[in-house]
Amino acid sequence: MRTLYFWIIGTLLIAPFVVVLGVSVGASSNIAFPPESLSIIWYRELLTEPEWLAAIGRSLLIAVVAGLIATVLALAINYVLWRTKTGFAKATFALGLGPFLLPPIILALGASLFWAQVGWYGRMEATIISHGVFFVTLPLVIIARGFAALTDEVVEAAQMMGATPAQVFRTVVFPLVAPYVFTGFALVAIISVNEYLIANMISGFVVETLPIKIFNNVRYGYSPVVAAASIFFVALTVTILLILSRITDLVALFGTSKDT
Amino acid sequence: MGAARMMRMPSYGSRLISGLAFGVMAVFFVVPLIFMIVVSFYQPDPMGFYKVDFVLENYAKFFSSFYYTVSLRSLYSSALGAVLVVAFAFPLVLFVSDLSRSHQQFWIISLLSLMCLSEVIIGFAWLILMSQSAGIPGFLEWIGLWDNPRSLSPSFGAMMIGLVFLGFSIVALILYPSVSRRDRSIEEAAVTLGTPPRLVFFKILLPTFRASLVPVTLTMFVYMLGVFVMPTMLGRPKDWTMTVIISDKALGDANLPLGAALAVVMLIVTVLVLIASAVLTRRRTP
Repeated sequence: MRTLYFWIIGTLLIAPFVVVLGVSVGASSNIAFPPESLSIIWYRELLTEPEWLAAIGRSLLIAVVAGLIATVLALAINYVLWRTKTGFAKATFALGLGPFLLPPIILALGASLFWAQVGWYGRMEATIISHGVFFVTLPLVIIARGFAALTDEVVEAAQMMGATPAQVFRTVVFPLVAPYVFTGFALVAIISVNEYLIANMISGFVVETLPIKIFNNVRYGYSPVVAAASIFFVALTVTILLILSRITDLVALFGTSKDT
Repeated sequence: MGAARMMRMPSYGSRLISGLAFGVMAVFFVVPLIFMIVVSFYQPDPMGFYKVDFVLENYAKFFSSFYYTVSLRSLYSSALGAVLVVAFAFPLVLFVSDLSRSHQQFWIISLLSLMCLSEVIIGFAWLILMSQSAGIPGFLEWIGLWDNPRSLSPSFGAMMIGLVFLGFSIVALILYPSVSRRDRSIEEAAVTLGTPPRLVFFKILLPTFRASLVPVTLTMFVYMLGVFVMPTMLGRPKDWTMTVIISDKALGDANLPLGAALAVVMLIVTVLVLIASAVLTRRRTP
């Protein structure tokens, strides 16, 4: 019964990607599964067409910078909350949870109107900043776990030796929360690379990211390059998460350990 | 301990960091929302974006039959999707939590990958899976179950499958911590006394986790209200949700005030659901 359920859910979760993989390595330009003959032309097209390359480059740039913004913001909010425990710090933390709770269309439309008013429509910076601010929630809660694990003793010891707050942060606090910071950064980068709606509403016609390009391709004339691009994406996402699972204990991060 | 607390008086530096972080969040998260509310009272301008004004006609339009029906349908498909996704994901999380650590890790990473994957890619994958030439219909024809296959999308069912697929990993990951840390003694006692697994599930596990299942269902409801790609890719135009209509009005028709007004209505619904969720959680957990 249990095993059956595992297999059914597992199959359903994986089936779509198996089919896309099949289409992406098929030689025919019509969608066909299973493929009649194998070829890598669609991958070659993906990695040589300037338009696809530009979209990939744009997406990766946005993801990395947005990841940095979100992580720095989350680290700052958590650090101040941990050091001061003031109501203002708590309010800032609560504000950081906000974007996760709202449907993305609301954030997207708000950002779109805002950037148009500011006059930044069509600038990549607008997409980067909005991604960075809207995706702050995940690193915020992850880094909070890192600060929760800090004990007073190590900090007191450092202070007793005469360390300034900046020195305490650099030599004690940051090394201890670094794995959480890195995990938060990686997750924001992955989510940003995959995000469609907000990027599209802010300046989708000008700043065409990879998801926007895939979506437009599916809607207006389809080519198996889309399948190749999708598999590229899946591989990228899974690889980063696997690397992450080597660096930090993802299972513990999601709270299995019984003593916490 | 006392010394450490003393040292934690708000210093100039931490006030500065705090103020900056708050400022960034306020300018790029709160201000756009407020501006959106302001624009929802502006006059639509067919030639440009909008005319500064104070009118209620955008909201009045919401109560015209079209938007009203669309909203009701959005509420229906989101509610149905939320219930389905929790119903499928909860048993899986229960089962996964009893696996060995390495198997749990495998599931967590798989679910995390699915959670991070673009809606666009998941939608596209299902589009192919439901297509006549490459997906389930072709497979059914091949094994002889369906003589005359046709594409399964766009349809309401296809859209719902997409929504459930999208929410599945999120629900599983939200439920996982509390499920994996549960006190297993009661269910073990019940099993020892010979209670059939079905009864253990309905009489013990469901009531135990009601405090986490209700909020997660509400969270999913809000989440599904906001899904854009699944309805456009897998649903028929008449299945389109409020999100699609908002985007369509704002980008397609360039009627930003109307889009903003619809988004404000959605914001109000969301906030109400979140408050309900908070109240329910508070009452249930001692």
